[in-house]
Amino acid sequence: MVADVVGAEAAVPAEAVTRPRIRVQGAVKSFSGRVVVDVDDLVLGDRPIQGLIGPNGAGKTTLMRMIMHSTSLDRGRIALLLASGGEVALSALPPNRMAGHGVVKSNQVIMDFDKLTIWDSLLLAVAEARYEQPHRIASERTVFDRHEGQIREYLEYFGFADPAAFAMSAGEKKLLDIVRCLLLRPTFLLLDEPTAGLPEELTEKVMAVVRDLAAGGTSVVIVEHDLNVIWSLCDEVLFMAEGSVILRGDPQAIRENRTVVEKYLGEGHV
Amino acid sequence: MNIDWLDAFLISGLFQVAMVTGLALLLHLQLGLARIANFGVVGFWGIGMYVFGVLYVKVDWPFGDPWQFLASAAIATFVAGVAGLLIGWLISDLNTDGVLVGTLGFATAVQILATTEDDFTGGALGMGGLDFPFDIGRVKDNEFLWLVIMVAVVAAILLYVWRVHRSPYGRLLIAVGGNEPLVRSLGKSTFRAKLWLFVVGSAGMGLLGAMNGVMVHYLDVGNVGVGVTLAAMVGLVLGGTARVWGGVVGVILTVGLFDIVVQSYLPLPEEWYSQAIPVLREAAFGLTLMLVLLFRPLGLLGDMRRDKLMGRIHGR
Amino acid sequence: MDFITQPVVIGLTEHAPLILAAIGFALLYKLTGLINVAYSETITLGAYFGMWLNTTYGLDFYTVLIPTGLLAGILSVVTYLAIFRPAKRRNVGTLEMIILSFGLSIFLRHGLQFVFGYPVRFYDVPPPDTIMVLDVGVTSFRLLAVISVAVLSLLLWVFIQRSRYGLQIRALANDEDLAQVSGIRPLAVTTLIWFIAGVAGGLAGAFYGVGSNVSPLLGWRQFLLILMVALVGGSWGLGGVILVGVGTAIALAAMALQFDQALYAQLVLIVAFVVVLKVRGTRLTETAKV
Repeated sequence: MVADVVGAEAAVPAEAVTRPRIRVQGAVKSFSGRVVVDVDDLVLGDRPIQGLIGPNGAGKTTLMRMIMHSTSLDRGRIALLLASGGEVALSALPPNRMAGHGVVKSNQVIMDFDKLTIWDSLLLAVAEARYEQPHRIASERTVFDRHEGQIREYLEYFGFADPAAFAMSAGEKKLLDIVRCLLLRPTFLLLDEPTAGLPEELTEKVMAVVRDLAAGGTSVVIVEHDLNVIWSLCDEVLFMAEGSVILRGDPQAIRENRTVVEKYLGEGHV
Repeated sequence: MNIDWLDAFLISGLFQVAMVTGLALLLHLQLGLARIANFGVVGFWGIGMYVFGVLYVKVDWPFGDPWQFLASAAIATFVAGVAGLLIGWLISDLNTDGVLVGTLGFATAVQILATTEDDFTGGALGMGGLDFPFDIGRVKDNEFLWLVIMVAVVAAILLYVWRVHRSPYGRLLIAVGGNEPLVRSLGKSTFRAKLWLFVVGSAGMGLLGAMNGVMVHYLDVGNVGVGVTLAAMVGLVLGGTARVWGGVVGVILTVGLFDIVVQSYLPLPEEWYSQAIPVLREAAFGLTLMLVLLFRPLGLLGDMRRDKLMGRIHGR
Repeated sequence: MDFITQPVVIGLTEHAPLILAAIGFALLYKLTGLINVAYSETITLGAYFGMWLNTTYGLDFYTVLIPTGLLAGILSVVTYLAIFRPAKRRNVGTLEMIILSFGLSIFLRHGLQFVFGYPVRFYDVPPPDTIMVLDVGVTSFRLLAVISVAVLSLLLWVFIQRSRYGLQIRALANDEDLAQVSGIRPLAVTTLIWFIAGVAGGLAGAFYGVGSNVSPLLGWRQFLLILMVALVGGSWGLGGVILVGVGTAIALAAMALQFDQALYAQLVLIVAFVVVLKVRGTRLTETAKV
């Protein structure tokens, strides 16, 4: 089932794929005098799925928002290193140009369109800009026919109760946000606490999709407080504290690291 | 056709209702879908009316009507669209407060220019010389035909708005009105969406202005006041900002009530019509606006129902 | 030196009411977050209150100012309690609130027009004395307007920066919930803000009225300028409003001396202010919460 969702790319072995990466250089952000993020030089995307963990206030969400340029940088540069070898300066682009380069992020807090139904919301995500012009008032059918199959697959896979209605529960809205991201066909996907508020069964489904996506060549960076997700999903874990990444390594190594245990996990956590 | 039952008041009243309905429908796309409060409706309408008037009267066209009308109206519509492009660009990153300044400022600028550039516009004295692009007999027949044409134009606008609700463009506008940052994160240029919205809306308002110029024959700076914006807004808000038919229903109940029922059918003393009625009309509109927003903010027709609409056009 | 002193003196004395009104408007805007279009009618009604007290009771202009300020303040509080407070309790959105205040503005303006009719009215005052300031003749009323602006701004500043209520006002503007927990009574404090704003608007109206004449459109004609000064200046606090107001006043006078049509000055200012807002807006868009 999962393979169906993501399509044929899933069949390609992970090792054969060159991944897009994101390089953060000298990026600093402070809010009212307090430095929230101060990253010297960090490359994301070396491994298929990377987890970003750390205590509250470590700057994880802010760093992700800086990559999406929805938060401006005080100074520094963030660039997307394409799989083909080229480079795109993300920190010089407006937020609406990110998705065009395949860089997509799901939201930590619930973000939704109150007046749009689930179908609306997903059709919005997939609709090409050329159909969204004021004179293309007869293009609804075209857009619907082009993307119906793909959307239906996700709707059925995640089991939305009534997709012609509005997303009601917090979980449904969260899931909708993730599906919108998936429909944008990301090459670099940032997930900010994707499973918060989701029942376990759906968490599993989200993780399965993420795994398939990563196997297909998409780089995934995930911020998550549910550490079970991190340990079981990630190929590498980055530990962030006080605005910068101070440790990175295999999940197992991070899990047993003295500093991480003291600062974050607490004694007695295994 | 026998139109003896129609008197001049009734024709001009119906014309007002149709025209304001057109304005309210265009405002609906901005205010109801994209949630941009355009307080400068009269500016776009007025620029269309004045550009049309000046072109029609002052330019020595090599051809006569109806081409003279069509050329002047086309240019006026275009100029209003360009004005919309400019204002849309100015307000595209501003919040509601900034939009208020930008649109109100534009409307004021149009009014100022219509007053100061009196070589062209006749200024405070006004400008005559406008006429119907056809002559089919009595004044009343001409006026009636012009009313029919206006109704046809407004019907076309209604059809456009109705289609927009059922198009990806309309969905984008609703999304922009709901959560603009989220739309941007989906890779869509909300800037461009707003720009186009203002270009199309303003051009339409400009065309309605030009057509109004033909009907009234005489351009007067006093008519380019906030009352036009108010009429469109109160109609739309009363009917329901989010609904296609909101503007239609609301304008009939507000402008229709005053400009048709009160003007033509209430036995009021003669001197009231020139002095008291116009003032009372505005006061009543202001009061209606307040009461609706306090007690029924979504208007008579209520909120848009995308769930029903989606069910209808795509099935469950 | 004439080319500097003339616009400065003329600008400050002629447009002092603009600064006063902008302070009141900005106070409401910054502290309650409301763009109150009906503020223009607070100004108009101030002009009418002053004229009524002046012509009906024969009070001279100076005596009239105090009751005028009080009446306009009370009117302002009444609009708050009767309309804006209920609207806020009904969760009327920011955008709808502006339209609501627009409706109130229209209602009051045309209500006044219905009651008082079209003809403009005048204060019944003896011709004011002319005082020479830097070689420019200024009427005593206009000088008084400047002094009132200075005194009122100083009082406001002291009040907001130094007094207990001022502290509460600032706390309320920052975070209403937190302020409530700290034992501040939002109703009392908000009422006070509306009262002060009303006094400022009413006095501005009286000065406008005595300077020329009184008509139902008096406040609305000034509204756009007031709005722009308050919005652009407001981001730097009370001082910013005064500074931008002074700059606008001088610019208006300087341009009125240059252009053959006074309206061009307004046109230039509209363009200038919108450009400032645009430039500032471009920088603000990045604070999106996605």
